[in-house]
Amino acid sequence: MAGISTHVLDVAHGRPGAGMRIDFSVLDDGAYRLVRTLRTNQEGRTDEPVLKPEEAKAGKYELLFHVGEYYAGLRGGRPAAQFVERVPVRFTVFDVTQHFHVPLLCTPSSCTTYRGS
Amino acid sequence: MTPTAPRPGARRPQPPEGPGRGRRPRPLTVAPVAFAPASGAATGGAADRPGRPPVPPVEPRLTVHAIDTYRGTTEAGLRLDLSYEENGTYRPLERYEALAGGRTKDPLLVGDELKEGRYEITLHLAEYFAGIGARLPEPPYLDEVPLRFTVADAAQRHHVAILFSPWNYSYYRGS
Repeated sequence: MAGISTHVLDVAHGRPGAGMRIDFSVLDDGAYRLVRTLRTNQEGRTDEPVLKPEEAKAGKYELLFHVGEYYAGLRGGRPAAQFVERVPVRFTVFDVTQHFHVPLLCTPSSCTTYRGS
Repeated sequence: MTPTAPRPGARRPQPPEGPGRGRRPRPLTVAPVAFAPASGAATGGAADRPGRPPVPPVEPRLTVHAIDTYRGTTEAGLRLDLSYEENGTYRPLERYEALAGGRTKDPLLVGDELKEGRYEITLHLAEYFAGIGARLPEPPYLDEVPLRFTVADAAQRHHVAILFSPWNYSYYRGS
């Protein structure tokens, strides 16, 4: 299946990153234009695909993960400056027939992303 | 378990070193201690040798080490751009080129050049992997990779450790 999906894992707590805000944008004329804002479900995935197969176009995309806001939420809303706050992951869809799964593993002071499946 | 065995969670016993007797344990709340020089060579732990003066507080600095986990060793020439957020936009500060091994010749920022706030390091991965002849799709999955991080206390040393390949990357606050 083509398109784009994501999955957030809070590896500081060993559980899905539930309720994290993600802004999905596409590079359009040299600037990232917001396509939609998503929020992860209890599994750390999104209920709707980030980008449906029929919407897939070759190009550059960005998933902006609101990691700082997520951890602030776990602290009852109390903000605390942490090393990792907003994490933009920019990647290229170079073949619209392929699926692009873009997970994020995060803690307050680190993050990892990779092309998953 | 013998009566002298430490309980779980108990403080680790001090090593039984003769010449070191009377040394006070290092406080746990100090700023990060000096680390190996940027060459990556181990110092042999001079700071821990008895009889040496304690390590003075280190000057704040921002350092980076980017490891190419695709090749297994970082070739020279990885380009890094450092930016600082002002009024919601990242303003370019400086451009660097990493040496072979993935460190820069000098720290990115030293002393009061390091400020509290949000920074971004952009890694030019597509350019780097093209330069070492990696066979990748065109255009490649990762091109210019932004790594954003917050400096909450500019009095501390900040080390950004990065692992990267054409298909994934990690970064974390190292030491």
